[in-house]
Amino acid sequence: MRPLPDIAGADAPFWQALRRRELRVQRCGSCGTHRFPATRYCPRCRSDRSDWQAVAPTGIVETWCVFHRAYFDDLPVPYTVIQVRLDCGVRLFSNPVAVETDALRIGLAVEAAFEDITPDVTLLKFKPRKDVA
Amino acid sequence: MPAFPQSTPVAVVGVGHTRYGKLPQHDPYELGLWALKEALADAGLAFDAVDGLIVNRIPDYQRFCEIAGLDPSYVSITPGQGRFSGICIETAAALIRDGLAHTVALVYGNNGRSGGDRYGGAGDTYGSGGGGQWFPYGMTSPGAFHALMARRHMELYGTTADQLGTVARTIRAHAALNPAAVMREPFTLADYHASRFICEPLHLLDYCLINDGGVALILTSGERARDLAQKPVYLRGYGMATALAASSFPPDDFWRAPMGKAAATSFRQAGIAHADVSALMIYDNFTPTVLFSLEGYGYCAPGESGPFAAAGHLALGGRCPTNTSGGHLSESYMQGWALNVEAVRQVRGACGARQVAGCAFAHYMAAAPVVTSIIYGRDPS
Repeated sequence: MRPLPDIAGADAPFWQALRRRELRVQRCGSCGTHRFPATRYCPRCRSDRSDWQAVAPTGIVETWCVFHRAYFDDLPVPYTVIQVRLDCGVRLFSNPVAVETDALRIGLAVEAAFEDITPDVTLLKFKPRKDVA
Repeated sequence: MPAFPQSTPVAVVGVGHTRYGKLPQHDPYELGLWALKEALADAGLAFDAVDGLIVNRIPDYQRFCEIAGLDPSYVSITPGQGRFSGICIETAAALIRDGLAHTVALVYGNNGRSGGDRYGGAGDTYGSGGGGQWFPYGMTSPGAFHALMARRHMELYGTTADQLGTVARTIRAHAALNPAAVMREPFTLADYHASRFICEPLHLLDYCLINDGGVALILTSGERARDLAQKPVYLRGYGMATALAASSFPPDDFWRAPMGKAAATSFRQAGIAHADVSALMIYDNFTPTVLFSLEGYGYCAPGESGPFAAAGHLALGGRCPTNTSGGHLSESYMQGWALNVEAVRQVRGACGARQVAGCAFAHYMAAAPVVTSIIYGRDPS
């Protein structure tokens, strides 16, 4: 079975937003810093006030790697993992779509690609932006 | 950090370890006790001399003391992460300097190979929080974390697979001179390229070796050290720094900032320069970490570690002989402990065929979210 996220846990608003083709991350109610995954306290100012804010579904590739050894059933190798920094500052691990691994570069501008993998679960993947050189 | 008080030097007076490899008849407690017996014998000390004990990776300190028959005045336990070898050594020095203990035993036991330890997959806990939220994308394992860093280094600086391969080959060539090393067969760059990718750009030969084993170190004050069996090896300088905030992701600077801080502290305490160091012991969980460490601790400028390694400077006879024991890549993955033993032995001049001539200073260093830098010296000041 492929690994599935805990969509009912503290990150539920993130997963629910992905179903709607929207990207939401936690935002500190005091200093405004975005963060993900969810934490009770803001790591920057330690406030416990927060909400889930829609953010631009865009960012850049920071680095990548290609798995040749399989660690999970039903995730056939090889597959590529990218590290993305969203424009709001949040970092994510994800997979690239619609781009060859050889074409990945540090700083490549990417945007969200929503991938439904079960009736309840949508994963956040990334594809190159067409509107940015 | 205050200057190292030179009036109270601390020395390593005993080192010991088990065989490395597959030791299914021993649990981590027994591996630790085996190593402790060796280390105390090396020091010429009896068990009742130990009044401070820190165990690492051994699951329970009480059980360990029970089977070892120990009642130390000070006891502590640390988690089984390699960054803790340096932390434990620095803590032991502080305990001795502050008089909380006179003779501290540091004991490590690891049955990772026989115990079936797996890095990566559903049980993976590398990084803070365990990383489970990234499993749906297939992201897991310390190896992948370092593969991401290696790729970034390659893209930014032009570091090549050949350069990583040279790190692995050089350390293997050193292991060939160490009878205790698990992997002693030299290999070529072609062999390196032919070894399978685990997480590209890293090949199998870029990964360390999961094995069973135990290691122990005995530390005491320089004053007591003079009367013991071995020539003391002094902790001339040490530094520690962390980059733990946001550490679920690789650091942009390859941990250069914390390493720079730890290096500055340890070199200032030791009162020496990089050129005075004869042997480097670099925490080589993966080959790229060796490159990051050379840059972070000041042996190379940022981005220059790949060509530096390719030029042969890490080999015995080179400018910075590195991991003369074979390190984690080829001796055994003893999470920094065996590298500290090798540093001590180099300074003692006890390394036989792999001895660096005239080794007055050896430098242990680790690149991780907690970085530690320890300079060992032949003389107390």
